[in-house]
Amino acid sequence: MKRFTYVARGVAWRSIHNTLKSPAILVPSIVFPLFFLAAFAGGLSKISQVPNFNYPPGYTAFQFVFVFLQSAAFGGVFTGFAVARDFDSGFARRLLLSAPRRSGIIAGYACGALMRWCVTGTVVTIAALLAGMHVPANPGELIGMVGLGIMVNLVAALWGCGVAMFLRTEQAGALIQMPVFVIIFLAPIYVPLSLLTGWIHAVASVNPATFVLEAARGLLANSPVHVAFAFALLAGGVVVMGLWARRGLMSAERAG
Amino acid sequence: MQSPNAAQSMFGDRARRVGNLRPVTDNSPAIVVEQLVREFRKGPRAVDGIDLAVSPGEIYGFLGPNGAGKSTTVLMLTTLLPPTSGRATVGGFDIAREGSQVRASIGAALQEAALDAILTGREHLLLQATLQGIPKATRKQRAQELLERVGLTEAADRRVGGYSGGMKRRLDLALALVHSPRILFLDEPTTGLDLQSRTALWSEVARLAHDEGMTVFLTTQYLEEADALADRVGIIDHGKIVAEDTPANLKAEIGSPTVEVLPADLAEGDAVAEALTRFGSPIRGGRGSLTVQLPGGEAQLAELVRMLDQAGLHVASLHLHQPSLDDVFLAKTGRKLEGAAEDSDEAQSVDAPPPGRRSRRGR
Repeated sequence: MKRFTYVARGVAWRSIHNTLKSPAILVPSIVFPLFFLAAFAGGLSKISQVPNFNYPPGYTAFQFVFVFLQSAAFGGVFTGFAVARDFDSGFARRLLLSAPRRSGIIAGYACGALMRWCVTGTVVTIAALLAGMHVPANPGELIGMVGLGIMVNLVAALWGCGVAMFLRTEQAGALIQMPVFVIIFLAPIYVPLSLLTGWIHAVASVNPATFVLEAARGLLANSPVHVAFAFALLAGGVVVMGLWARRGLMSAERAG
Repeated sequence: MQSPNAAQSMFGDRARRVGNLRPVTDNSPAIVVEQLVREFRKGPRAVDGIDLAVSPGEIYGFLGPNGAGKSTTVLMLTTLLPPTSGRATVGGFDIAREGSQVRASIGAALQEAALDAILTGREHLLLQATLQGIPKATRKQRAQELLERVGLTEAADRRVGGYSGGMKRRLDLALALVHSPRILFLDEPTTGLDLQSRTALWSEVARLAHDEGMTVFLTTQYLEEADALADRVGIIDHGKIVAEDTPANLKAEIGSPTVEVLPADLAEGDAVAEALTRFGSPIRGGRGSLTVQLPGGEAQLAELVRMLDQAGLHVASLHLHQPSLDDVFLAKTGRKLEGAAEDSDEAQSVDAPPPGRRSRRGR
């Protein structure tokens, strides 16, 4: 276990270090969520006046939850990109060679993703509060919402790690990003599920991201809805994606 | 500089720290390979049933052209590539079943010094020390020691993106030594280095083996490198070990030295050839030179000169050629080492890796 921890700590340290030392990595991960927040919460604020739009904290809070979770998911996706880059540059081979306990590499990348998202999530939250976001949630509900974000980040990071380790090339980027993008944007982003119609309503109704998004919005609004189900979904996601990442690592080990 | 005792002690500390790591006894071989095979999909056998054993403290030179199977062997022994069949132990641990313990026992500098351009040299060493579980209190001190040892103190806090090839190689070696391993794998460590850097690296490798008792498994395609450094040499070609012994024994096996005579007047070539038949059958070279083996060794050189003088034959040049490892390679494979590299590259292109796959890179 100690060897696992050493490896995870080393890989996570490098991940954070490189993010902070390299503006090319750090700036987009902060700017994009802020842009989404400004564009959606600011530009589409009139949506809150649509009949049957019922979210008491307001449209900024409604959009904040989406951007908060989306930044968590894309924080994980960016980690997948970093893993793929490490395979392309050969640095992953150094990690495989230096790590007595290789599963620690996955844990390290995942911890790095989480710590990076802590920075992004904090910046997005501050920006939303500065924009006048109303927060009716109690501390427990806020912790619950952050917990959902952490699990989303973890699921996405493990997914990204797995794909990157299976393909071992930067070209894996599109494959890492696309399913996450599709799942997120097929959830009720701009309006509540009840206002969606047609095929998008049908798809969003069964989309797991919808339950997570609605649970987080409910927590922020102090009116929790299917929170336990959302946590269960994400816990399942962590297990499945953890196994996926482990399979990816084994594939990389076999390839050498 | 570390004393052998200090190195032993550091290893002992590490063995205790990682718990189930068994220290290697001095008598057991550091590396044992039995019928090791690596086959790539749709390709020939990169490594085809090799056997070898390396003693503790020995420098074992693994010599062969590009694509012969040297790097594939190293990748398997360092647990970066699983063998198709056969078995091997490194530091007493099975490479297939005890990879974690193997990696804790070895250091390795592979062909491509894969470094992170954003990290500094010192940060690389600290990262490596963390991965290897070296206590936080000693990490900085160990990093500084190694930076001094490889002469990178001044560049220690610069990003490695700006390092020269030689500096990257030296840092790579330092990284392999962070946890004071008992066994060191060096895969073509001097490829692309200038003469000065190459000589410095040779000195350090020799010092590690002789002063610290480190076992060194060194792959190379440079004959002089194997000759200068290795206690024993294994010659690999097309995935098979074709010869293995000390460089001196391998060369002695080839036989006596040869002498190449270039007549001053090429018209006298036949007369010179006839004179040389006393020593053996002369072979004609490209520029009118004649080469003959001296069955009695280099002591016969004076006799040959006297004989040519007495016959009134003048020579433009006369070269005594001691048997080299290249001659050994020629005798064992029927090809010169340089030419063999091209042949093997052609063979390798048959099983070239698909884009994005790392499995066959650097063989």
